[in-house]
Amino acid sequence: MTTGHMEMGIKVVGVNHRTAPLDVRERFAHGAHEVPGALARVMAAGASGGVLLSTCNRTEFYLVADDEPALEAVWSLLGERLSSTPSGGAREYGYIARDRDAVRHLYRVSSGLDSIILGESQIQGQVREAWEASRAQAGPVLHRLFQTALHVGSRVRTETGLGMGTASAASAGVAVAGKIFGDLAGRSALILGAGDMAELAATCLSDQGVQITLVANRTQERARAIAERLGGKAVSLDEAWPHFATTDIALCSTAAPHAVVTWERVGTIIGARRGKALCILDLAVPRDVDPAIAQLENVFLYDVDDLQTVAAQATARRRDEIPAAERIVEDETDLFWAWYGGLGVVPTIKELRARMDDVRATEVERVLRQLDHLSPADRAQVEQFSQALLNKFLHQPTIALKKAAEEGRGYGLLEAVRRLFGMEPPA
Amino acid sequence: MSWARPVSGVIVTLHLVALALYGLATALTLAPFMGFRPAPRVLTIAIPCAGAAVHVVAVSQLTLVGLGPALSMLALCLVLLQLASERLLRGSAVSFFAAPLATGLVGLALLSGLAPGAETVGARNTWFVLHVALSALGLALMALAFIAAALYLLQFRELKARRFGQIFQLFPPLERLDQLNRVALVAGFPALTLGVLLALGYGAQFSGGLHVAKAQLVWGIFTWVVLGWAVWVRVVRHWAGRRAALASIAGFGAVLLVYVALKLTQPGAERFL
Repeated sequence: MTTGHMEMGIKVVGVNHRTAPLDVRERFAHGAHEVPGALARVMAAGASGGVLLSTCNRTEFYLVADDEPALEAVWSLLGERLSSTPSGGAREYGYIARDRDAVRHLYRVSSGLDSIILGESQIQGQVREAWEASRAQAGPVLHRLFQTALHVGSRVRTETGLGMGTASAASAGVAVAGKIFGDLAGRSALILGAGDMAELAATCLSDQGVQITLVANRTQERARAIAERLGGKAVSLDEAWPHFATTDIALCSTAAPHAVVTWERVGTIIGARRGKALCILDLAVPRDVDPAIAQLENVFLYDVDDLQTVAAQATARRRDEIPAAERIVEDETDLFWAWYGGLGVVPTIKELRARMDDVRATEVERVLRQLDHLSPADRAQVEQFSQALLNKFLHQPTIALKKAAEEGRGYGLLEAVRRLFGMEPPA
Repeated sequence: MSWARPVSGVIVTLHLVALALYGLATALTLAPFMGFRPAPRVLTIAIPCAGAAVHVVAVSQLTLVGLGPALSMLALCLVLLQLASERLLRGSAVSFFAAPLATGLVGLALLSGLAPGAETVGARNTWFVLHVALSALGLALMALAFIAAALYLLQFRELKARRFGQIFQLFPPLERLDQLNRVALVAGFPALTLGVLLALGYGAQFSGGLHVAKAQLVWGIFTWVVLGWAVWVRVVRHWAGRRAALASIAGFGAVLLVYVALKLTQPGAERFL
């Protein structure tokens, strides 16, 4: 094991939903195929390990690196993606966290504490994917860091209520449908609209085992892409109306300026369902569904406001769980830091002793050359004395270093020792 | 000839312990509606389980004649069904109704006295015990169907009105409640039918042993017909959802009303009716 990390601390440098608007974050986002190239560039600037976490809410480089060159490489890499560069470059949108703060930051990210939707679980998978995509370049410290980050995320979700309930309109739609149908697996859904929101909500339904039977849209091309991905069939809006007689869930999210699901179009069709429940999730603004449809006894109609109410309630409940989640993050940060602090202690102590012993041996040899009248027994005494003296001198620093490492304070002390005794970082 | 015996202190004590545990279970169940955090699931199951265990021991020592023992048996069946529905159908909210109902029934049983007041010849005969157990099970299943129906209507109302409060959060999905209602009715009808048949068989074998009052006969037949109708509309007429829930509630309400009316004509705790 090298002691390289001693000079190169853990850093996170990046942007997130708090520091950069969506259009900037979009530009900084890296696809999985771009990750190795981006990391190679940063590592060429001196980082010994790197993981790139890029989601719609954040682009973060986790590095084991010296401060300046590697961080400069990140800012430069991100800056190249901006259409118009502000005076401060990409760093104007970003942040840097170092060492213990960087560890805590990743743990908070993987727990969902740093997400727009507090406690959302998707980030856990994204952290895992980022780690896997960067596996070749991560290095031992970041491997350990990401492994423990996933563990922290799991602990927070199982030991606190941070992930309870549903906290986005799309997932709230799934929850509401679940309150009508129970298990959603095997239920059928038709999707009106093919925008991002429709796709996201349809994906949420599909993840629950709902069969997406139809995707209806004004333009067929986009509908076909979603339908193919989710296993449904793309149709025009007019072809969709008869299916209101059989589907369990209708998800509406078109960009139409007025209601498209009207009483005239589907009233009679829904009436023929013989009491079978129909859940309509209207995610469009302006609304896609005529509110009069909800008067039908077996129709449960929810618009964006309703779903956001459900999501907001879940978020409010989740907020109560923040202190418990933060405690877990703090405990785990301590554990990681103790491990990390202890990493370089043994090699440093060895190196320090070796150096001091060299000095001792040289000096003893010099003195003994001048005292050539000494008997072999006396010479041995001097040799023994010098070793005892060295051991005495090094005893306290050795104990202090080991203790600091156990307490997670080893990193700073190691830095000081290496500087004081002129120990160079290994190549 | 009567071999009725005074109720032992052990039976009363066991009932009091069961009552306390059911009361505690009720408090835990209803806590979220009073602004407290929901109790851990393990507690909401373990406490009624412990109550049921104590209750089983108590009921096994009872002579099942009279109002008190019948109510106690009914409460036990209800708690066991509540636990079963939680385990099998994840119908956790059943306890919102079942726990207070069982607590009330055990309380009433204790108040009306657990000693067998009426003639008890042959009351420990296997036929008779089975008759009481199956009839109580049939009635408890009817009560469970009623509870599922009530929960269904409450959840339905919240979902239609787009209210997302405690009922929305804590009550099971509509489909699951509908399924619970159906299962309870379909299982309750054969249980009650068998209970009635066992009573007929028992009457034929031990004629003159246990007097069957006219009111008991009327109520028994009425209950059997109502339950039969509720099953018929669900299974044959394919009623489901809100209509089936209303039918269950109306049926159970009618059975309860008729019982109260008949009991008022012949008050007293020595007989169930």
